[in-house]
Formats: sequence, structure tokens, C-alpha cells
Amino acid sequence: MRESTIMKIHYGTALAAVALVAVHILMRLTQGFADSLEYESVLANYKLIPYAIMLELILILLSVHGFNGLRVILLELRQGRTYEKAVSYGCLAAMIGLIAYGSNTIIRTNMGIV
Amino acid sequence: MTEDENKEGIGGMANPTRYGIERVAYWLMRLSGLGLLAYFVAHIYETSNILRGQVGWNEFLELTQTTEGHIFLALVIAMCVFHTVNGIRVMLGHGGVGVGKPARPDYPYDPASQNYRHKIGIYSAILLAAIATMYGLAVMFGE
Repeated sequence: MRESTIMKIHYGTALAAVALVAVHILMRLTQGFADSLEYESVLANYKLIPYAIMLELILILLSVHGFNGLRVILLELRQGRTYEKAVSYGCLAAMIGLIAYGSNTIIRTNMGIV
Repeated sequence: MTEDENKEGIGGMANPTRYGIERVAYWLMRLSGLGLLAYFVAHIYETSNILRGQVGWNEFLELTQTTEGHIFLALVIAMCVFHTVNGIRVMLGHGGVGVGKPARPDYPYDPASQNYRHKIGIYSAILLAAIATMYGLAVMFGE
């Protein structure tokens, strides 16, 4: 993929994540910070389908943005065909791994498999 | 000055004291990005404790809902706000917004892109991060 396309994705995921994370944080503040972290409250959030979808979107957006950012920082420090490939595929693997791990939590909690 | 004396490598490039607030912003952007990624990975692991049931969730909450945990979260708020505001400034700059018109380079060769608009943007990012951190601390310790 061209670097210009990757940067457009980087900026797009950033803007979308800012909007969704703002909603995620506001949900913590609507019922009091400590109360919102109670087990029943968090479980109720996960069981709400629109909220679970939003969490999944945040997970994907921030994973893509975060690991691409890490890739950019690592490529700034050093260059070379093998190094660049290792960094790019390493970040991609970490991104997929984190999305899979987070999705497991969201899906299983939403479906009541706790 | 010989070529060797002029070469400082990454150390010279990274020196935050030499190139003004823009280089400080460059460093803060990368450090806050790495910090936020580390927090994000930890947060995904932290929330996965809900799969351990109420006992597991409460056990982990006892570890994070402490004074140290709240101070760490305040640092995360600061990094998040700075990274967001400065990120928007960088995006606008890449889009050509606020970087000035192309002009003939004349002595003393001040780069048109490093102007007061972007400096205000960087200082605003730092100020907003400080305000958000204080608000976060008030919310977390106010209960």
C-alpha cells in the first residue's frame, strides 16, 4: 500500500477515534466515575448492542492508528529493506493480535459467556 | 568546521533545546503516542478481567483504583489531550492550512511554516492538556 494512502488511513482513524472515545469517556462521567466502573454497570454497558459495537469500532480504530504510529516511529529511526518489512509485518501482527484479544472480551461479555 | 564535527546523528536531530517549540512538540507527540499505545494495550488487558466474573473484576479494580492509579490516569489524560490537539494541528499543516504562502527564501531564511499560528497551536495543546488533567484529577479525587 502507498504511504500516502496509509497516512490518510492514519488521519481518518484518528479523527473517528477522537469522536468515539469522547462518547466512551462521557459514559463514565454520566453516572459518576467510580459507580460507572462497578461490575454490574460495566456488564450492562457490554450487553448494550450499540455500545458494544462502538467499543469494537474504538478497538479497531485505535489499534490501526496506534500500531501504524509505532511503525512510523520505528521507520524514522532506521531504514533498510529487511528492517522495514520486519517492522511493518510485526506491527500488523500485533494489531491483529490486539483486535482479536479485545474482540474476544467484547463478544463473549455481550453474549453472556462470562 | 569539518563534516565530522557537524555530524551529531540522531542525537543532534533529537535535541529538543535547539530547534524551538516545534522540536519539543515533535518529541511530545511521539512520547505521548507511545505512552497512549502502551496504556491502550494495558486497558484492553485490564477490561478482559470482566471475563473472570465479579470477583476477578473487583480484584483488578482494587489494583487500579488507587491514588497511584488515579495519578497515572491523569498522565494518560494529559497525553491524550496533547496528542489529539497537536495531531489536529499537524493534520492541518500537512493539508497546507496555516503554513503560509510559498515565497522566495530571503535572509534570515525563517521557514514560513514555523509561524505564530502553529506556535499558538502547540502552546494551546499544552494548555488544554493541563486543564483536562486538572479536571480529570478533580473528578477522580473528588469522589
